[in-house]
Amino acid sequence: MRRNSFTTFAIILLTSTVAIAKKEPALPTATEGKQKTLSLVRVNVTGQPYDYFRPWQKKAPQSKRALGAVLSKGRVLVTADLVANQNYVELERAESGEKSAANVQVIDYEANLALLEPAEKNFLDGITPLDIATDTVVGDRLAAWQLEPTGALVATEGLVTTIQMTHYPVDVGQFLTYRVSISMQYRENSYTIPLVKNNKLAGLLLRYDSRAQLVDAIPAPIITHFLKDAETEKYGGFPSSGFSFFPTRDPQLRTFAGQTGKPGGVYVTSVEPNMPAVKAGLQVGDIVTEIGHNVIDQNGNYIDPLYGKIELTNLLTAHAFAGDNVPFQVQRDGKPLQFNVTLEHRAVKNYVVAPYNLDQPPLYYVLGGVIFQELSRQYLKEWGATWQKEAPQRFVYLDRFQSELFPEGHRKIVVLSQVLPANATIGYDDLAYLVVKKVNGAEVKSLADLAEAVKHPIDGFIKIETEEDPKQIELEAAQVATEAPALQDNYGIPSLERLE
Amino acid sequence: MKYCYLSVLLVAFEVTQLQAQQNAPPPAFPVQPNASAKPSAAAPAIVTVPVPPPRPNGPIQKSLVRITSTEVEPDYRAPWNAGGLQRGIGAGFVIDGNRIMTNAHVVSNSRYLTVERDGDPNKYPAKVQFVANDCDLALITVDAPNFYKNMVPLKLGGIPELESTVSAYGYPIGGERMSVTTGIVSRIDFQLYTHSSIDSHLAIQISAQINPGNSGGPVMQNAKVVGVAFQGYSGDVAQGVAYMVPTPVIRRFLKDIDDDGHYDKYVDLGITYSKLQNPAQRKFLGLKEDGRGVLVTTVVAAGPCAKVLREGDVLLAIDDHPIASDASVELEGEHVEMPEVVERKFKGDTVKFDIWRDKQPTSVKVVLSTVWPYFVQGHSYDVRPRFVVYGGLLFQPMSLDLIEAYQPTDLRIRHYFDYFVLEQIYLEHPDVIVLTNILPDPINTFLAPYRGGIVDEINGKKIRTLDELAKMFSEPAERFVVKMIGDGPPLVLDPKQAEAARERIKTRYNVVREQNLQEQAVAKAAEDQKKM
Repeated sequence: MRRNSFTTFAIILLTSTVAIAKKEPALPTATEGKQKTLSLVRVNVTGQPYDYFRPWQKKAPQSKRALGAVLSKGRVLVTADLVANQNYVELERAESGEKSAANVQVIDYEANLALLEPAEKNFLDGITPLDIATDTVVGDRLAAWQLEPTGALVATEGLVTTIQMTHYPVDVGQFLTYRVSISMQYRENSYTIPLVKNNKLAGLLLRYDSRAQLVDAIPAPIITHFLKDAETEKYGGFPSSGFSFFPTRDPQLRTFAGQTGKPGGVYVTSVEPNMPAVKAGLQVGDIVTEIGHNVIDQNGNYIDPLYGKIELTNLLTAHAFAGDNVPFQVQRDGKPLQFNVTLEHRAVKNYVVAPYNLDQPPLYYVLGGVIFQELSRQYLKEWGATWQKEAPQRFVYLDRFQSELFPEGHRKIVVLSQVLPANATIGYDDLAYLVVKKVNGAEVKSLADLAEAVKHPIDGFIKIETEEDPKQIELEAAQVATEAPALQDNYGIPSLERLE
Repeated sequence: MKYCYLSVLLVAFEVTQLQAQQNAPPPAFPVQPNASAKPSAAAPAIVTVPVPPPRPNGPIQKSLVRITSTEVEPDYRAPWNAGGLQRGIGAGFVIDGNRIMTNAHVVSNSRYLTVERDGDPNKYPAKVQFVANDCDLALITVDAPNFYKNMVPLKLGGIPELESTVSAYGYPIGGERMSVTTGIVSRIDFQLYTHSSIDSHLAIQISAQINPGNSGGPVMQNAKVVGVAFQGYSGDVAQGVAYMVPTPVIRRFLKDIDDDGHYDKYVDLGITYSKLQNPAQRKFLGLKEDGRGVLVTTVVAAGPCAKVLREGDVLLAIDDHPIASDASVELEGEHVEMPEVVERKFKGDTVKFDIWRDKQPTSVKVVLSTVWPYFVQGHSYDVRPRFVVYGGLLFQPMSLDLIEAYQPTDLRIRHYFDYFVLEQIYLEHPDVIVLTNILPDPINTFLAPYRGGIVDEINGKKIRTLDELAKMFSEPAERFVVKMIGDGPPLVLDPKQAEAARERIKTRYNVVREQNLQEQAVAKAAEDQKKM
């Protein structure tokens, strides 16, 4: 069916060129009128990210143009990247240019997927929804669908070269990814590009390396997981188990860990506090040999019926949902043990350094010109694509080693991010990027802690203690209060705090 | 005070790889044949007797020497090797007592030194008497009895005035014979001395051209030495910015060695402090509004102020010189940074602080000494890298030289280096021992992921120094379980297998030595630390 529409399109293009030459336009024929519309819509998004350096304001609006895959029940699938921090989303029918506002129904930043629904109920009528093909394997050919300005389809075919676990943009765990070798051309709406196999949706473009001509795509199994979850009353999110592991290829490590029998299994190097693995009883030094009755080899792979060897994390993401009970077969000191790990989704608020904050205004607290914020990766990403090199290295270190440095969890890191010169902050102007330890003697483990502690000055002074030099600064509480309106006025700060 | 930052400064020392020595470096500018070098203007009608140019500094040739140094640069990536050979050219000048002064970087790591002088075809072997790597000065001497005959020792002057003219003498690239450049004194300020890269002392910026080969040469004014040319910016960073070691630093060096025939290095307080310019903070601390005092923010436990000063003390005066709230003191009519008072002192000297502690005035005495953890963050010279090879695993203590050799991007290594002193990491790990490399062998073929790890414990015992690590590996054990810092798997080694692989690895990788524990300042001081 879809093949037919391909050919029709090609013919239209050809005839129209010929027609101009002849100055005798060939009118659309009846077949073209009946021609099935593509299962794509244009998606125009205007977004405004928050400005973490001026946390009370948003950055200038940016527009992105993308393609959405039309699914059943009047839903449109796009990447979460596209609609994160959006102010306005609009759908546009490719063939007619009709437009409708749209709402974000469900969004999962970690899997980088979002579902949109048009504000006008019947807007997608007449568009055949795309089915989903979950059977893509290495060696298959997928077509990337783009649109010409005319609304005509541009299809580029590529070869699936590998299927593996990779990090998605938000970098929370790893997800299954298709890598496709494809030479795509630039088109206007190229933010979200559907990849199609036999007219079924096989994936969505995650990133494109134009030099290597390689596309990483969010694969159908992740999409179906997302869609299934989205049907439930409350979107649960992808589960995680909260342990890190290391291959047991080294026989010396295997002997040390008391591994017996055939080589296999992975060595547990750490367990995250308050997470499913530790709750179930898993310990550092255990060897995990089976997950959900799948044998784990010494590299940490299991044999997937579709893909062959693939990393065990796929069992705990694409194949499982939050709330699922997954049996873990473990060897501890050579003895077999079994644990039932009840998977959970790890919410952003349960990280010490939040991995992302999207569609949410950043928290801040301005005290006499001193700006306090909670350390988050979103804040670090203000230093650009190379933030890991450019951002204050101490902060990058705290982010990277957060679970090791704060094994108890249940806290945030409050930082003094910068100082606005004012009467109260004379001599402090050069301070920036310091970790706050205490305020007025009280330990600070969140911005709320700080806001509370500020209310209890010591003899009229607010004392702020930092990890780094200068170790302590003081402000006069009365002066801070008196000069607050002038500070707000001077620097255009609508409110001096946002605590939730 | 010592600071640690990366710098674009280059030391002005001409260094060539020995292999490349045969090919003369191409001149920086196209050289005109002599014939065309005549003035293009018509010959003047009146023939004047040429007037010799004024030589305000006298016959410098009689004091200046050209120093050729053959150096062995340690190879931190193959520390069992002797290292690469390099040859460098620098300048020096004769001072009283038949001594030749030059830069430390001209003679450090040298294995053979020769000295030449103007109008004498001989090359005289020389030897190093004293090296002060922290202020980039050295004294060398020539044993040949006749060498100093006809040589004129130069006298030291004072600090030249800003904008006054100075002349720099040396053997920079561009020719073989002595070169003179002149310029004016542009700035007098504290600067980082890049030779050690942790020391900051007074330095004088001059606009005279200083190029590789000028190093160690005298900068003269009114026939007196006002500085020793030592570093400058390369042309693609800044033009006409060159520095000389000024005479206060030179005199301090000479006094240090004259006292006991041994160079004791600069002493340090081992503290950090912050300015006290905020009125609220001053009120909180109970200070008067007199613009005085700085706040002690870190006291380095390995430094002389440990147990004398505390975090939160306010330093009001140093040796009765009031300390302003911007950390300046008035010294001989000049406003200088507070550490300048310490700069002029020597090991074992005391400094008195008037302090404000818990809103009460008191005073304390500090017996000055060096602060060894800083040395880890600076360059070392004339020492062989310390290392241990075991089972093909190369363990090395972290130092600036190591960091520069491997350029690690690992966040944890960089953090441990940057915060070695400030977070007092040295207290737990006087040597931060890094598994820097693995010499592949069947026994370690699966160990590659451990590369870059920092050793924390072996068989449950905390490893603080490289010696402890070497000792551990030399003792019998069923197996060695090496725990690295952080969440990671333990590295497990079977001693029987390691022993069996030993000769194989040594031969295959030409590891001529399996360890060098030779005590350097770092390890020695670490021992002292433990005894404390």
